[in-house]
Amino acid sequence: MTLPARARVGIWLGLILVCALVVARSQYSADLAAFLPSSPTPMQRFLVDELREGVVSRLMLIGIEGDDQKNLAALSRALTMRLEKSDRFAYVTNGAQDSLRADGEFLLRNRYLLSPSVTVERFTAAGIRDALEQQVDLLSSPTSMLTGNLLPRDPTGEMLQLLDRLQGQDKGPARHDGIWFSADGARALLIAQTRAAGFDIDAQEQALAQIRAAFGDSVTEVQARSPRLVVTGPGVFAVESRSGIKRDAMRFSILGTLLVSAILLFVYRSVRVLALTLVPVASGALAGIAAVSVVFGSVHGVTLGFGATLIGEAVDYAIYLFTNTAPGSTPQKTLQRIWPTLRLGMLTSAFGFGAMLFSGFPGLSQLGLFSIAGLAVAVAVTRWVLPELVPPGYHVRTAAGLGPSLMRLLARAHHLRKPLLLLVIAAVAVLAARGSEVWDDELSSLSPVPLPVQQIDRQMRADVGAPDVGPLIVVSDDSEQGVLEIAEQVGLTLAKLQTQGVLAGFDSPAFYLPSVGTQRARQQAIPDSAELARNLAAAARELPFRSGTFAPFLEEAQTVKRRAPLTAQDLAGTGLGLKLQALLAQRKGRWFAMMPLRDVSDVKALEAGLSKHDRSHVVLLDMKRELDALYHGYRLRALGFAVLGVLAIAVLLMAMLRSVRRCADVLVPLAAAVLVTTVILLATGTRLNIFHLVALLLVVGVGSNYTLFFERGGPGGADPQRIVTSVLFCNLATVIGFGVLGFASTPVLSAIGTTVAIGALLSMVFAAILTPPLPGPLTGYSELR
Amino acid sequence: MRAFAAAIFLTLFTAVPAWAEEPAVQWGVDSLMQQLSAIKHSQARFVERKYLKVLKEPLELSGTLTYDRPGYLQKRTLKPKPETLTVADDKLTLENPGRKQRRVLKLQDYPAVWGFVDSIRATLGGDIKALERFYRVELEGQPANWRLFLVPRERTMKEVISLVRIDGHHARIDTVEVQEARGDRSVMKIQEEVP
Repeated sequence: MTLPARARVGIWLGLILVCALVVARSQYSADLAAFLPSSPTPMQRFLVDELREGVVSRLMLIGIEGDDQKNLAALSRALTMRLEKSDRFAYVTNGAQDSLRADGEFLLRNRYLLSPSVTVERFTAAGIRDALEQQVDLLSSPTSMLTGNLLPRDPTGEMLQLLDRLQGQDKGPARHDGIWFSADGARALLIAQTRAAGFDIDAQEQALAQIRAAFGDSVTEVQARSPRLVVTGPGVFAVESRSGIKRDAMRFSILGTLLVSAILLFVYRSVRVLALTLVPVASGALAGIAAVSVVFGSVHGVTLGFGATLIGEAVDYAIYLFTNTAPGSTPQKTLQRIWPTLRLGMLTSAFGFGAMLFSGFPGLSQLGLFSIAGLAVAVAVTRWVLPELVPPGYHVRTAAGLGPSLMRLLARAHHLRKPLLLLVIAAVAVLAARGSEVWDDELSSLSPVPLPVQQIDRQMRADVGAPDVGPLIVVSDDSEQGVLEIAEQVGLTLAKLQTQGVLAGFDSPAFYLPSVGTQRARQQAIPDSAELARNLAAAARELPFRSGTFAPFLEEAQTVKRRAPLTAQDLAGTGLGLKLQALLAQRKGRWFAMMPLRDVSDVKALEAGLSKHDRSHVVLLDMKRELDALYHGYRLRALGFAVLGVLAIAVLLMAMLRSVRRCADVLVPLAAAVLVTTVILLATGTRLNIFHLVALLLVVGVGSNYTLFFERGGPGGADPQRIVTSVLFCNLATVIGFGVLGFASTPVLSAIGTTVAIGALLSMVFAAILTPPLPGPLTGYSELR
Repeated sequence: MRAFAAAIFLTLFTAVPAWAEEPAVQWGVDSLMQQLSAIKHSQARFVERKYLKVLKEPLELSGTLTYDRPGYLQKRTLKPKPETLTVADDKLTLENPGRKQRRVLKLQDYPAVWGFVDSIRATLGGDIKALERFYRVELEGQPANWRLFLVPRERTMKEVISLVRIDGHHARIDTVEVQEARGDRSVMKIQEEVP
């Protein structure tokens, strides 16, 4: 590196400019699925896609509360009307009959294609007679006025069958004034389905804004007093957690920067040097975001939040440089001394995070790339740019004053070795006793949504009768028709199991869209015009029906017999279409049908019954169990990569230090710090998730700098007092920067903040305790240069 | 001219007895309702004829009616096939032992059924508020021979029922006639059982 100073500063400025341009144009996402593996089994990929873009991800549940029922119902109507006009929503309903009328008309028009009882026998003279006799019974029933008006069109009662089957699926919410309400009647309920997928947060945000605006207009129109709007759903959560993470990351990194700056200002007594300290940090953060943006196409919100914490490590580089510059010396000379240690510290962290880069989880890979690019740029700026910018003759005065007392403390620190050993043994014992309980293996533990909001969502889901995520059968095939045909076969099996009491019921996309084969078979089951008329006449001979009553039936049956089979488009705009979309989906060229099961009482019998279907097409899934298992596997793999990272660090240190003893001096305090930090987290009632794991890796990265500087008193020829002081300042900056983050309300940020703050503090203390006492200034580091 | 005279005559003929019999008391819907609401329990037999457009001859059903103030009504059909309709507060149960069927509905979910059920239940209970929720109520006649016209207010009900006519004397109901929107009609004659 013999470039002149001007050229170096110029290159740096150019790099910053390019990075800033890239960052300004970056896309940001807050998609939880980024933290799920990118190359799992087809079934897992289907689940993840379902979470990202399936109908479930597009559903918004809207509640209106805080007024009397009359006003709430009026608001619900007004809001529905406004949202129906919007092209952001594919479907909006508040349960009013009007919105279900389209469903009824669809069923009626296509009853002979949809009803499972349409068979050849159904339309023989005997079959029709059976049906007609039942109709006479129905006519004498007290509620005949509701069912009877279809009789001339539907003498075999197909419509009633279809309605019965639908009603078996879900009871639906309570109603007041014809509109959906919560069970306690205090909240009017609506369901809206966005056109945009759940992971398209910008579109979800706009849809949410439109709901709020439409609600505001409705309140004015109805002149309600002070009603409240509650909107939940995956898209809403994504929008809110993104803005929450942004807000938290912004607020707490500003707060952290201010606090760290205050300390540094006290130490440096120079605003200019303080500003210079932030130069490597800012350069590193910009480079990190730019690198992620270029490689991955978008930057995850968590990466960003995590990136804000880069302050913790990158700020250290400048602190080491400034604090170690003795009076009369220059930063250039200091760098010549501490550069090998600085470089090794940076490489250690980079190796740690490097493992994450290859983890195969987009979220973790982003973190890895961000850290490596950020740290490399930060250390390079410290090495080649920063010295040129320091005012000539500058040195840190405070450092000299603190030095002697720190050295006295350090000299006595080794007395604490035994207590520390006991502490570590206790920590290991606690971890061993807890075993796998240490981990929170529920996917929801990653959810950035605060608990009270999750509870409201659950409540509204229960009120609407939205199906719980429970056991379901997933059928897959290459084509839509194929998947529908298999679903129909599975449906026959399930219907049989249902009569045996194995399950209470099930839903199937083939209920709403039978396969073309089935539709054709039903069409063929209808006899031609003359034969049907003959059969009908024979059937009605001894029954009291007026002649000519069933003329509409004869005509409609022939119309249906000739029409083209139904397609998914025919269901557009109906509630049944919404159901079909939820149950039938195409993902990456493959078709999937979902068949949710209700109240399975005998899983073994169910599995036995299903065993005759091809396992490669028909899978019984417990959605929640499957997702948690997915996360569990993911966490295990992440743990594996963290361990790999630690191994990589050990190999790196061995290669550079060429001594097991010295390696141990660097690594043992860190291992102790990680163990004790984990136990402290557990003691506060926390169960560890993936974010804690990443934070612990960061502890190793940051802490390795301390132990490297401590080890043998630091780089050759340095003043040990200045080394110790610089480590203390670095540590203070890290603990404050991350400690502040610990108070963030976004679970991710607070987990990382708390863990790193505790871990970094312990790393320094343990390094001080475990590193052999310093005999005085040493000169043993020359081999590193 | 003769028609005009006949009209006047008719008006007089029907109007006179009302004030001739009880000229002092202002008899109307409210007093009828008050009278009806005094009855806590009643038990009756019924014979119902359903005149349906699709059938050549009317269906004839018979059975018993039970009412308990304020919210319980049971219509037990015995012939031609047993079937029981029970309404308790806002829950309606239909039982058909022949088909082994039992259905429970919430009246709120089926406004038309609710309106139909309450045309009888609210009349028996003398609950004018419940009646007026679904119907415009008009009364004709005198205490010993009155006729109540119930005309549905809301569209959902109008699509099913166009008019309910209830005939009675004093606090007794004699006939309930339901005219359905699509032209069918049922007439239920009620014979009170005196305990």
